[in-house]
Amino acid sequence: MASFDSINYSIRPSKSVQRGIVFEGLRRASNVMELSNAIYVGFGSIWFTDFVQAHKVLNIDDMVSIEANEIGFRRATFNKAYRTISVVEGRASAKLPDILEIEGYNARPWIIWLDYDSALDEEVVEDMQWVVSNAPPNSVVLFTLSATQNAYGAKPIQRPDRIRALLGDIVPDDLSREDCTKETLPITLARLMIDFLKSEVADAARPGGFVEAFKLPYLDSVAMVTVGGILPARGAAAAARALVADASWKGAVEEVIEAPPMTLREIATLQSELPAVAALTRARIQELGFDLHERQVQSFQRYYKYLPSFAEIIA
Amino acid sequence: MIPGDKSKADANPTKAFFVRMITRDITLEDCIFDLIDNSIDGAWELAGGHPLSLDDKTDLSPFRISIHIKEDHFEISDNCGGITLDDAADYAFTFGRKETAETENFSIGVYGIGMKRAVFKLGSEIEIRSTYKDGDALASFRVPINVENWLASGDENWDFDIEEANNLEQPGVHISVAHLTDAAKRSFESPRFIRNLRRTIARDYALHLHRGLVIEVQGKPVSGWIIELRQGGEFSPMRAQFVEELEGEQVFVEILAGMTAPPPNDSEPSEDFDEGQNNSGWYVICNGRIVLAADKTSLTGWGTEGWPQWHPQYTGFMGIIIFSSRRADLLPLTTTKRSVDETSAIYRQFRSKMRETTKEWISYTNTRKQIRDEATQREEVAKAVPIFQIALRQEVELPRIASKPKVPEANILYTVPKPRLRSLASAFGNINMAYKDVGLRSFEYAFEDLVGDE
Repeated sequence: MASFDSINYSIRPSKSVQRGIVFEGLRRASNVMELSNAIYVGFGSIWFTDFVQAHKVLNIDDMVSIEANEIGFRRATFNKAYRTISVVEGRASAKLPDILEIEGYNARPWIIWLDYDSALDEEVVEDMQWVVSNAPPNSVVLFTLSATQNAYGAKPIQRPDRIRALLGDIVPDDLSREDCTKETLPITLARLMIDFLKSEVADAARPGGFVEAFKLPYLDSVAMVTVGGILPARGAAAAARALVADASWKGAVEEVIEAPPMTLREIATLQSELPAVAALTRARIQELGFDLHERQVQSFQRYYKYLPSFAEIIA
Repeated sequence: MIPGDKSKADANPTKAFFVRMITRDITLEDCIFDLIDNSIDGAWELAGGHPLSLDDKTDLSPFRISIHIKEDHFEISDNCGGITLDDAADYAFTFGRKETAETENFSIGVYGIGMKRAVFKLGSEIEIRSTYKDGDALASFRVPINVENWLASGDENWDFDIEEANNLEQPGVHISVAHLTDAAKRSFESPRFIRNLRRTIARDYALHLHRGLVIEVQGKPVSGWIIELRQGGEFSPMRAQFVEELEGEQVFVEILAGMTAPPPNDSEPSEDFDEGQNNSGWYVICNGRIVLAADKTSLTGWGTEGWPQWHPQYTGFMGIIIFSSRRADLLPLTTTKRSVDETSAIYRQFRSKMRETTKEWISYTNTRKQIRDEATQREEVAKAVPIFQIALRQEVELPRIASKPKVPEANILYTVPKPRLRSLASAFGNINMAYKDVGLRSFEYAFEDLVGDE
């Protein structure tokens, strides 16, 4: 089923946090690497949430959305947010080479975010290989995939072999089923996909290498992971490395982002406590009159600036 | 009349040519192994220096070789005795082995090129430090090499300077290389390169690691590959030992061969077939080091006179031939130590023995096709045994199978999109199920539904 048939994914809170972090990172990258001339390539679906951000935050005009579903293509064309978005129908593997052929597009950096809702599979691995070997210099590449454990084998014992079959030699020989449980798989996949991208870039001998920039596992009932990096031109490599090495860089996290769905009233109440002098606790939430899991409290505190507020409008 | 000053054509090599040439035809991985080999030769010398046969019980556990790789820096250190100042001044930095150099006992280094070639391949800012025992005390020196300055200093003087240095913690060698070459930098950025480096170390130094040697990469010791052959039921591997005389020196030879894994029931190559994971084929070991692994080419005889080309049907066969000698130059080593010298007399002499045992296996995989299920059962009885525990036996023993009439068979071949295959495999309970098994299960499923009892 196509994602637009299952959920309006602009209202998944952890997804919003992840998107907020990515665009903040992209904005900072565009300060050091001159990305206003970039082309944005992605899967806009019928919502174009990331395309709107690319236009508003990064000042990008030329954008291409790839849509594989026939009805989805019609709806995307109808819904596209700006005149300068072009929607192409087909699978990424078939359409990416065509996009590179568009006049001038191979000489401008790409910000390409392949935001799949499916799990990693052979086709996605090939898309990742194509992107890191063909994206023009100074491009930023991002990939989002499902990290639902069952998509990698119904039994835990099968998962390391499945991941090895997909990502090959970069998978350590001692990858265990404990690394592939519901809780651990998002972190494991994120690390291995980064290693895979780095190795592919090294093999392709890109002069500026691969600068690891994004590692964001997140969970809104389904576990997802976003990984990505910068493919700088040789001359821009030092600046790109310095950017992500800076302590203020937020693009990579070590724990799964799990923003709780909350009511406007809860959010307003908690926000009035922040920024807090000491860490917020569950006890404090209870004092305020409601309750949350400890990890939800931590997540809220860490990511509240990126949290969206949702309300139903009765028109 | 030729003027006196023109009576000789200058044939001296330039340094730049030399550096380019010696680093050209060797991989980065093999360069790192050359450095490991030097450390191991030191350890082996300290441990007594004798043939590294499978029965050997030498304890290498006091010795440790550590490799640290960063995106812009390479470092290898060991506690294997170090290079003495005399050796450094006269031999260790000479390009090529001098005739006057002593033969190291049962070493793996032959050509006197390994260390120089390795560091030149890695980068241009090099420091080699050594601490060694001088009588009862420790003494040390360092040899800094800045390749650009050395090249620029002209082709007359090829020497490197030896300087004073502080002692390392234990007698040993410490080599560090900065200003990496582009090729080294690219490889060191790749997690895949580092993981594969570990895997190859685990395999090629399996015999040393089995004797307790510690090789660390990025601070984590590599566990050696346990080489096993199957034994039991009607299966017994071959293990035969020989001693040959060559130029007045003894060369010890040992051959092991047999089944390492049951052969496949379907020998059609599929996309699932992963050559890298496949351990089948011939292995050649020289003075303890695997120089050729899982070979399926004419180097070990496949496809040469009286010997068929390798075919996936032969998967499951493993043959190992081990050569040891006090003089490494008598062994069939190439300079990269990543292949065998096919012209070597001692190697050619044993090719016929390798052929005989290979042919036994080929014939077994041909006959077993007639009784696949029964053969699979017989193969399951044979259990994996580490090669060190295999008893001596002149020939490999495999089941004798008499041919019998069989039901004619049909092959079914069809193509489906991969995601659909994986979905069905998942529904059958195993997302990793081989394509062939998904096909068979689907056939059985349909057969039971539509045909029922035969």
